[in-house]
Amino acid sequence: MTPRPALLAALVCALAIGAACSRPSAGSPDGPSVRLTLPPDGAGRAFIEVVGLSSDDLRALSAARRTTEQWTALLRVSVGGEAPPMLGTYSVTRSALRFTPAFPLDPGRQYETRVDLAGLPRAAGNGPRSGVLVTTVSRPAMTTTPSTVVARVYPSADVLPQNQLRFYIQFSGPMGLRAGLDHVHLVDEHGREVEDPFLPLNAELWDADRTRYTIFVDPGRVKTGLLPQQQLGPSLQSGRTYTLVIDREWRDAAGLPLKEPFRRTFRVGPSDEEPIQPEAWMIAAPARGTRDPLLVTFPEPLDHGLLLRSLGVSYASGARLDGQSRVEARETRWVFVPHAPWRAGEYRLVVLSILEDLAGNQIGRPFEVDRFDEIDDAEPKTIFRPFKVGSRQ
Amino acid sequence: MGSRLLKLWMLIALLVLTAWSPAANRMTADAGQGPHFSSIGPLTFGPDGTLFAADPQAAAIFAVDLGAFATGGAPGAKDIPAIDRKIAAMLGTDAREIAVTDLAVHPRTHNAFMSVMRGQGAGAAPVLLRIDGAARIEMVALQNLKYSKVTLPNAPDVNSTNPRNTRTQSVTDMAFVDGRLFVAGLSNEEFSSKLRSLPYPFSSADRGTSVEIFHGNHGQLETRSPVYAFVPYTVNNTPHLIAGYVCTPLVKFPVSSLTPGAKVRGTTIAELGNRNRPLDMVLYRKDGKEFLLMSNNSRGVMKIPTARFGDAAAITSPVAGETQGLPYETITTMKGIEQLDLLDAQNSLVLARAETGTLNLEVVPLP
Repeated sequence: MTPRPALLAALVCALAIGAACSRPSAGSPDGPSVRLTLPPDGAGRAFIEVVGLSSDDLRALSAARRTTEQWTALLRVSVGGEAPPMLGTYSVTRSALRFTPAFPLDPGRQYETRVDLAGLPRAAGNGPRSGVLVTTVSRPAMTTTPSTVVARVYPSADVLPQNQLRFYIQFSGPMGLRAGLDHVHLVDEHGREVEDPFLPLNAELWDADRTRYTIFVDPGRVKTGLLPQQQLGPSLQSGRTYTLVIDREWRDAAGLPLKEPFRRTFRVGPSDEEPIQPEAWMIAAPARGTRDPLLVTFPEPLDHGLLLRSLGVSYASGARLDGQSRVEARETRWVFVPHAPWRAGEYRLVVLSILEDLAGNQIGRPFEVDRFDEIDDAEPKTIFRPFKVGSRQ
Repeated sequence: MGSRLLKLWMLIALLVLTAWSPAANRMTADAGQGPHFSSIGPLTFGPDGTLFAADPQAAAIFAVDLGAFATGGAPGAKDIPAIDRKIAAMLGTDAREIAVTDLAVHPRTHNAFMSVMRGQGAGAAPVLLRIDGAARIEMVALQNLKYSKVTLPNAPDVNSTNPRNTRTQSVTDMAFVDGRLFVAGLSNEEFSSKLRSLPYPFSSADRGTSVEIFHGNHGQLETRSPVYAFVPYTVNNTPHLIAGYVCTPLVKFPVSSLTPGAKVRGTTIAELGNRNRPLDMVLYRKDGKEFLLMSNNSRGVMKIPTARFGDAAAITSPVAGETQGLPYETITTMKGIEQLDLLDAQNSLVLARAETGTLNLEVVPLP
């Protein structure tokens, strides 16, 4: 929020220009003009300058104390028309009167600058010194060819439980600020759109770089007896086929629509109300002396997002093992490749109790059961499954 | 794996411990000058004028001493038509490129404070604005303001080589009650709607408490549906939170029940209609009576007398019609309300979306 880096950049630029323009100048014979300076490497803030002023003009400008309103009366930068002036800072360098906007200029947007020539401190000098100099400046527009696509939708399985809890929509690039839920539709096998299938939220659930969007199927539509289920029916029904449709009109961070719409068709099976049972997981232990992957195979797909951070490997002592992990086989397998070769001995597969399957069931606890226990997330419950390296299980 | 081995696992191998708790996952508190937000969302004021502002992207809550911005402007707030366009223009962009994330009224100056995100994607910048009684819009310069900050615990992650932690924590609403800040939050991964109670002044030593809240209506079934909006309210001399959920049950909880490990089950005192979710709630008095004013995304603004909040019968069976429980009146003159706060004893302050699509700041007499 603070424009301090921009101020610093402006100061550096001002010093650089000052050093380069140390000789007194009589100003431009054509009088003052306006120019936009873009940071050469894309870093720092663009700024707008009134140039063509004489050294005396600049000295007088620099000596005068002005309020923001007074500076704005002299040099007004806006998005045009009757719009209020833009927020920014004013400074005087050895060669120019400079306006540094508080926020980066939008690529392709036209900005209007109005210089009150009569308001400049010296009436004498070169060029006209009355009237208002109106100029338009703009940064080059960015590409207008849509390129962002829906890269993946999780879960990847062809058959989802009737009480499927969430979808992750993974985009190829960052998306815009506008609410996304209106762009996601669930359509049945007859082409009819399911009414309000997803849980509406007052917050948009994005990851930190705004490339993955989470939507929850309204759990109230799953559970018999709850108002949403009574009034709207279940979002998904066992035995039927649905298509998740994502509109092309969803705008990315550049304000462009997606390159193409996205459709994913899946079938729906019975509800899954069984808790996750780690004892049913197959652990294929690697051979000692190798960096062969540890393979953990689940009898059902598990939640992609939670799998990424709910599984780890430790030595028997409890110290963590470093390595690379990935989720594959439509979220039914977790693969871990250690950085160093496996040594013979005992290890532990570490599992956080927050892990969920597609229906939100956790370890030893189905989704619909009361959870009236301690939930402070600083101390997640952890489950260990030992395995041995050195002899296959 | 053979069945004998499987049984062996079940007997000896499943060790449930709570020891895997990296220190980095603790809640931390610090203080300084010049708060740095990576994003800005819900706002609320403490009674002394401290501004609590959520940074959802950083899972942090700032308590900001507004310094000169707590005085100086013309008192109150004033109508500003098309305020979204004016703000966008001041920020050098178009109204489509900004998102107003909250509106809150200062308890003493009655100036309006607005949180705004400017721009898109990774380049989006947080902005805090003050609007005074002369309709003057100013950006709050944060660099000289004192603050304290609490960072909510990080997402648990046992995978030391996870290339990127995709879990984030959104803050959906906040309220300050008797020295504690209540924060409702949602994760983009685990399905949990948490209400966290943080002591203020913030302290790393006191991690606060967090609970999941159920409401147990509809034939004794519970749901973990997220709390959308809530407001502190004293019922029969006992501090409560009045909370609104999707499909609009109105639920009360005693604040004293919000302790770790407690069964926090709300009492549903009204069902206010389906296909709807609450946005904001304020309490006010008029003609000697007290009312809850609640804005909604599709059912307009509701005025609900609070007199029976204490003794209203709990709704425990499915609702036959659309609504049940406490009566309410829909304020038909208040349309398109996206943000609502109490301006003073006689007026509310709203951001209303006009049919033309513009967002207007309006002072509206309390109904």
